[in-house]
Amino acid sequence: MKLDFILNGEDVSCQAEAGDRLSEILRDRFSLLGVKSDCRSGHCGLCLVSLNGRTVPACLVPAFRVRGSEVITIEGFEQTDEYSDLREGFRKSGAEPCEFCRGALLLAAASLLEERPRPEAQEILERLSTVFCRCHDPAALVRGVQTAAELRARRMYFRAHR
Amino acid sequence: MIHVTTVRSPACRGVLESIEAPHLPRGYRAIYAEDIPGENRLAILGSEIPILARDRVAYAGEPVLLLAGPDPGRLAELRDAVRVVVREEDPVLEWESFDPDQVVLRRSADSGDPDEAFAAAASVLEARYRTESQDHLYPEPQGALAVFDYDKLVVKCATQWPFHVRDCVRSVLGVKPQEILVLPTPLGIPMDGRLWYPSVLACHAALAAYLCRKPARILLSRDEDFRFTPKKARSSVTLRAGLDAEGGLTVLEARIVLNTGAYAPLAAELLEQACLQVTGSLSVPNLRVHGYAVRTNTPPLGAFSGMGAAHSAFAAESLASRIAREREEDPLEWRSRHFLRKGSVLITGERLREKTSFEEIGRMLRASSDFARKHGSYELIRKRRSAIRSEESPRGIGIAFGYQANGAAFAALAADSFSVESTLNKDLSLAISTSAIAGDEGIRAIWRSTAAGILGIPAGKVYFPAVSTAAVPDSGPSVLSRNVAVINRLIERSCVAIRGRRFRSPLPISSRAVHRARNPLRWEGDVVRGYPFESLSCCGAVVELELNPWSLEPRVLGVWICVDGGRIASERFARSALSTSAIAALGQCIRERLPLEGGRVPEDGYREYGVLSLAETPPVAIEFLPWDDGDPLKGIGELPFLCVPAAFSAAAAQASDLNADRLPFEGGEPLAGMDGL
Repeated sequence: MKLDFILNGEDVSCQAEAGDRLSEILRDRFSLLGVKSDCRSGHCGLCLVSLNGRTVPACLVPAFRVRGSEVITIEGFEQTDEYSDLREGFRKSGAEPCEFCRGALLLAAASLLEERPRPEAQEILERLSTVFCRCHDPAALVRGVQTAAELRARRMYFRAHR
Repeated sequence: MIHVTTVRSPACRGVLESIEAPHLPRGYRAIYAEDIPGENRLAILGSEIPILARDRVAYAGEPVLLLAGPDPGRLAELRDAVRVVVREEDPVLEWESFDPDQVVLRRSADSGDPDEAFAAAASVLEARYRTESQDHLYPEPQGALAVFDYDKLVVKCATQWPFHVRDCVRSVLGVKPQEILVLPTPLGIPMDGRLWYPSVLACHAALAAYLCRKPARILLSRDEDFRFTPKKARSSVTLRAGLDAEGGLTVLEARIVLNTGAYAPLAAELLEQACLQVTGSLSVPNLRVHGYAVRTNTPPLGAFSGMGAAHSAFAAESLASRIAREREEDPLEWRSRHFLRKGSVLITGERLREKTSFEEIGRMLRASSDFARKHGSYELIRKRRSAIRSEESPRGIGIAFGYQANGAAFAALAADSFSVESTLNKDLSLAISTSAIAGDEGIRAIWRSTAAGILGIPAGKVYFPAVSTAAVPDSGPSVLSRNVAVINRLIERSCVAIRGRRFRSPLPISSRAVHRARNPLRWEGDVVRGYPFESLSCCGAVVELELNPWSLEPRVLGVWICVDGGRIASERFARSALSTSAIAALGQCIRERLPLEGGRVPEDGYREYGVLSLAETPPVAIEFLPWDDGDPLKGIGELPFLCVPAAFSAAAAQASDLNADRLPFEGGEPLAGMDGL
């Protein structure tokens, strides 16, 4: 089947079988290697992407569900101000996720900040629990997301009052 | 590019009678053990493992055949069509009471006079402590890529020991070392799971590339990785302690059994570290240790962070808490009479050469966790529990201590030398060439700051050429805190040598520092000699938890850790390393257990494997003993594995009034039988 969708802000098209996994399409057809394709069961969460504004494990999304959708991977997210807030927040707080889980963690954190601009520690931990990695330091991640939330709020304030 | 898939043994144990492969399409090839041009074996520190099973199979899932071809989907179909015929034999799965022919390695040691001390003991206490197998759950997939580059075969894989990969591939292909080039790919947190197994996959990919003359890639699925690759060894440690009338520990007898699965990889290292730390943080004047590494027909079981020592430290520290509990003493006060101190006699007969800091750590933990008050009140509740009917969650708090033997050389590598080379260039940049794999940026920050401090150059001018076995010296395996305890010291030495020549010789100036184990462990019969580590870092942990009153499922309320790790180069990275290790150690205490059914990991094992999610992790408070700028750097990353499990066990025992002598804690099992009601 022909698959048309919006990928990181651009209209794209490719051929795929209806049951192909989105994670494999993104890696194999579009060379988006920030999407990790590992457990293929949604357990590890390393393949998180934003699909129509919701973060989902790409390994559980069949190709036919992607038709006409908007997909944002970490590569696309890196071009946004929200990414800069999170990167800066993580850097200031000493949250240094490894390069395998970093993209998925940032996307999960971004989706939380969209819903809850000032999240509590437990909310942060629950949302980031969708990504499993031995490198996670919970306290540093909470500080990182809360610092990013402050940066984001400040940026939005200045944008509104510019 | 061709892909490689593995055909595996369907049986746990037996004679491999035949492998019937279907007709292979053009471009596809089957690779049998007979096709291996060099040696069909991988050597890892005294253990040997076949690259492809030839006559016999030793575990379900052992590789027996490789299939190589261009289409992974077609390869999977072909793999499913292969018929592997094994004349099955009963698998050997029992390991705690093992047959003599299962013993791969035995280690014994005596110090003092244990027989006389037991005869004089006022009381004797015996307990057995068991730990289960745990998966490393590293984030990167298991795989390898082999590509010809002119006259070299380039192998890429995520490994903790690039030169081991090179030596194995060289030996399997029967070529010269310089014909193989290994380029390690990034690692997550390997937990010592990437020490040797990547070499097996590298050999598989290299074999396919060599025989098919095409670039070859092997990539295990997460399920395949979970079911068939090495995990943490299981352990059973039986301790018999003799006490004098005042409750002083005068003698300890230990029987350590490690289930190292098929082929017993790293058995010597695991067992020797376990024997070395069999007293935990305690000094025992009379000691007898019998250690056994035992082979079974499960997938290979071996290294995990804490490398052997974690098994026996859990047992010794749990026993210490139990003795204090039975004597109705404060566990910290009881321990303070028994802590290892400078001059304490080690199992090797040598005296400890540096001071320990368990007492200071204990004082800090007592204050930060409010240990004395909580322990006293929980103990009071425990004693009155039978009289009070309450549906409140019972609580407990436990404390334990441990030490990390920094730079403990692998005995099998004692004769080898490892090095680091530093070069100060004309633009005053410094290149540090080492094959040591920095698991995270924190280690490189430490190396950078060490070198920059000695040479008086900005840290930004220090760089690390990409690791390639053709371009950097062999710095040994990145394990047992060697990156801090050994590699950092080599960087220091090479930079000091450069500083000495700085204004006498023209730039660039290079210097190579070489490390050799000074006095490694030497086992001769029932005697062990040597001083097998460079330095000690000490740690204590307090764990507070509550149990579900019905299922006894634990919920950890808080963890307090105090560390004496010498000079802490980066507090941020140190806190992060300790916190992640503490959480992995708690995972072992609460939930993580490799499912093994009849020696096999079931197909849905990965999905069923329980881990602690971030939302379930308790707050981990970390503090450090004060240090001076002149203090040496020491490894700290493994410390939580040495004391958190025993602190958890003590807390669970207090809350449940059971002997929490098995990890994961099985307090939840009493309700298991009610499932069918």
